[in-house]
Amino acid sequence: MLAKTSGQRPALDDRSWVRGFLILSALGFLLLFLVLPLVAVFVEALHRGVDAYWDALVEPDALSAIQLTLIVAAIAVPLNLVFGVAASWCISKFDFRGKGLLITLIDLPFSVSPVISGIIYVLLFGLHGVLGPFLKSQGVQIIFAVPGLVLATIFVTFPFVARELIPLMQEQGTEEEEAALVLGASGWQTFWRVTLPNIKWGLLYGVLLCNARAMGEFGAVSVVSGHIRGETNTMPLHVEILYNEYNFVAAFSVASVLAMLALVTLVAKTVLEWRFGAELAATRH
Amino acid sequence: MAIQVSGITKQFGHYRALDQVDLEVRSGELLALLGPSGSGKTTLLRIMAGLESADSGSLQLHGEEALGLSPRERQVGFVFQHYALFRHMTVFENVAFGLKVRPRAQRFGRSEIKRRVMELLELVQLAHFADRYPAQLSGGQRQRVALARALAIEPKVLLLDEPFGALDAKVRKELRRWLRKLHDDIHITSVFVTHDQEEALELADRVVVMSQGRIEQVGSPADVYDHPASAFVYEFLGQVNRFDCTVADGVARVANGALAIPTENGVQGEAIAYVRPHDLGLSPSAGGPGRVSGIHVVGPDARVEVDLAGLTLEAEMDRERLSFLGLRPGDRCAVHIDRARVFPRR
Repeated sequence: MLAKTSGQRPALDDRSWVRGFLILSALGFLLLFLVLPLVAVFVEALHRGVDAYWDALVEPDALSAIQLTLIVAAIAVPLNLVFGVAASWCISKFDFRGKGLLITLIDLPFSVSPVISGIIYVLLFGLHGVLGPFLKSQGVQIIFAVPGLVLATIFVTFPFVARELIPLMQEQGTEEEEAALVLGASGWQTFWRVTLPNIKWGLLYGVLLCNARAMGEFGAVSVVSGHIRGETNTMPLHVEILYNEYNFVAAFSVASVLAMLALVTLVAKTVLEWRFGAELAATRH
Repeated sequence: MAIQVSGITKQFGHYRALDQVDLEVRSGELLALLGPSGSGKTTLLRIMAGLESADSGSLQLHGEEALGLSPRERQVGFVFQHYALFRHMTVFENVAFGLKVRPRAQRFGRSEIKRRVMELLELVQLAHFADRYPAQLSGGQRQRVALARALAIEPKVLLLDEPFGALDAKVRKELRRWLRKLHDDIHITSVFVTHDQEEALELADRVVVMSQGRIEQVGSPADVYDHPASAFVYEFLGQVNRFDCTVADGVARVANGALAIPTENGVQGEAIAYVRPHDLGLSPSAGGPGRVSGIHVVGPDARVEVDLAGLTLEAEMDRERLSFLGLRPGDRCAVHIDRARVFPRR
């Protein structure tokens, strides 16, 4: 409209070759680095036929890996959800000393290599670690067992929910909570009726990301797992073992399940955004 | 006495926000807490609501000690500067919130809640907007929703923090009149915070002028305007000319006697004289001590700047008066002071 009335060219002009070049390069990039590898996974997995694919998935060790991955995620994600909400609540709604330090600590798992996170747990809970002898005397095994996998996964996926929520809650401020309190709401009522509805989309997004990472985590889990087949192998670890054994069909079959998980996560997110987009827009100031 | 504040002190780090504040709010009155930013007025209001704690002192709401009570137990209505409406709830749900969160034993039935909410929306003239979300309303409408929401819990007192601060000038004025009328109808004890002296003087039954965590003066709008208790109040309420002067024998001499102002309040020695621009008279006089340096016409009023012995004075008059005097920039003039206040220099 502006262009027509003033005769000036707006910033977003129809310089078609620029637009075309940018779109093409973005698409090319996506194709090369995202779509092709994804397609390769499924092609490799299926190149001996559907039967071989299916056999690789229902084989006991694979089933155990899938089950273990689900268990680890089912423990780690809810815990990180509760932790993430609690941490962002306290960081964004209250003022206290050491807040900056707390934020830095929450980011720590992002900044250290997952392998190091794994080794920390081995040093702490391993047989020759700080707490190892005590744990052994109590008959508790953490390293090379499911508790170790859960701990390492929690550590690595620690920041996802909090990182998503802190900026959102800081931007929203504390006035709505104050209003609720003055209107007679209790702390719980304020949380359930005011705070949570305001952050639910950010929270959901954080949980989806957290879940994707919890299921796909390799480094930290690899260190604490011990790679015991059928016992402490999660899906990514199982994929690695199969791959190292030149069992490519099985490796890519299990990998394709992980890839589908990622796709489901993405689709779920898109559907939510599409389904509740209007409500989202209406609730933003 | 609806609210009794005694000796309230509040410190933020090294900064003293409130310093031994005493204040009484009478039942049914509309009281303004007026002051520049940092004067402690909002802190005092938030302490009354329980959103901020006091370091020492006491606060009584209707005769009951309230400092130990949580905000939810105080039963006060609070209106925020930026509305603080629940953004994910409709207008109806916002107003109903305070009724729905009551403990089960005290909660009304669904139809009674609906009746009350609609009655309040009727009162704030927003019944047609019950199903809208806050984001779909204008600023003035949002603030009326916030008011209805605060009134829904039948508060004993209504506290408003800069209620018109986020609105544009025209809406602000309308809403101000509307609030005054509402208060005349429902007579709820109300305290509102503002930094706008015009707003305080127009709206309030009594005005509390605050500065640096202390109360400078409490009185009716006419009282604080006509009889400011301190230099600060004089300067804060409206435009003012400020002169350094020396007082001897009941006469304040400004700029080595270029201007002589009679005083009667017994101040002696070094002092500061204040003159409101509309109390400063000018008359054309070829040999007068003043020289007109500028004339600004704003609507029906004219502001005339005068240089007098190195001082710049500002006089205010209506345009008719100005054209009657026939003053133009560069003209010489005589200056008369109709009314002035002299305070000893601190």
